[in-house]
Amino acid sequence: MAGQVASGEKLFRSIQAAKPKLVTGVPDGMLAQTIMLCEASPDFPYIACAREEECIGVASGAAMAGERAVVMVQNAGLLNSLGAFATMGLRYGLPFVVIVTNRGALADPNGYDIEKREAFDAGVRPMARVFDFDASDLPDDLIPAAFKWAEAARKPVILALEKRLGAEAAA
Amino acid sequence: MSNLPSQKDAIAAALALYPTRPFAVSDIGSQTGWLKAASHDARNLYVSGPMGLATSVALGLAAVRPNEQVLAIAGDGALAMNLTSLATIVGAKPKNLSILLVDNRVYEFTASVPTPTRDMDWLAVGRAFFGADQCMRLADLTPERWAGVSRPAMIVADIAPAPAKPPALGMTPAMIRLEFLKASKA
Repeated sequence: MAGQVASGEKLFRSIQAAKPKLVTGVPDGMLAQTIMLCEASPDFPYIACAREEECIGVASGAAMAGERAVVMVQNAGLLNSLGAFATMGLRYGLPFVVIVTNRGALADPNGYDIEKREAFDAGVRPMARVFDFDASDLPDDLIPAAFKWAEAARKPVILALEKRLGAEAAA
Repeated sequence: MSNLPSQKDAIAAALALYPTRPFAVSDIGSQTGWLKAASHDARNLYVSGPMGLATSVALGLAAVRPNEQVLAIAGDGALAMNLTSLATIVGAKPKNLSILLVDNRVYEFTASVPTPTRDMDWLAVGRAFFGADQCMRLADLTPERWAGVSRPAMIVADIAPAPAKPPALGMTPAMIRLEFLKASKA
């Protein structure tokens, strides 16, 4: 539990450092602490969406106005949203940052997560740039660096956070 | 001959409710084509994403431009594909976002195949989400009345199916983005 809180706070601080104009998402256990900190933050609005595809739309609306937006979803949620990701994020070249909890890792073997991860690898990686990270050991400058990359590349970027063997439990 | 307005006229009438031009975010296909035909403007955001996403895109825009009015324009077939966005908007409580629902009961861009919502009461749906005072028919609105409606709000417009599709948009994604980016920074 201590690891979950620490990594959640670290991710929040990194989001805060990137100065986004909004953050949007649908909860996953690994993101819960970060989402609650975002909800409470006076620095930007957190828009809680009912469905993940909406998050891509919300981020696109901000990015179309030239503002930074962060999306937080689980891998299954991003899979629900690939049409929106392609026809908004990729088609318009919108530099928003998508934080995805990539469930179903070797250290995260819930039976109901396995196919999500395989579908993520098969469906998402060929169409978008994905950078992978240990959820319990995130770099301080993760989100600012992700925005710099996305803005240079003129397209969205996906940060896949996963539990790693031997790492402190992230959730 | 239907007495209902065309989609183009309904969009123009909704935009005319505002004292100054709002940002207008239109769903792909029919709404985008008719928005451009009704009132092309740099403050129009023509969405090429999945049907129904305009309400979500408009919510994101409204959040980062809180001092501007934003109008999302959705067809009945489109909004049915993103009905959850209404729940999200209710939760987010944007004070500058409204939705124009244009209901012709068909997928106009898909050979006018009837929508599954063709018998649905959109006014009742809108009122269930936003409240009776925040959802009304376009025909019942005047600029003065609209000015007094708190947001988020929804306008329901029954429209006649068009005999033909709107003219092609004729803009690339890069053109749409650049024009809108300039307008949204102005």
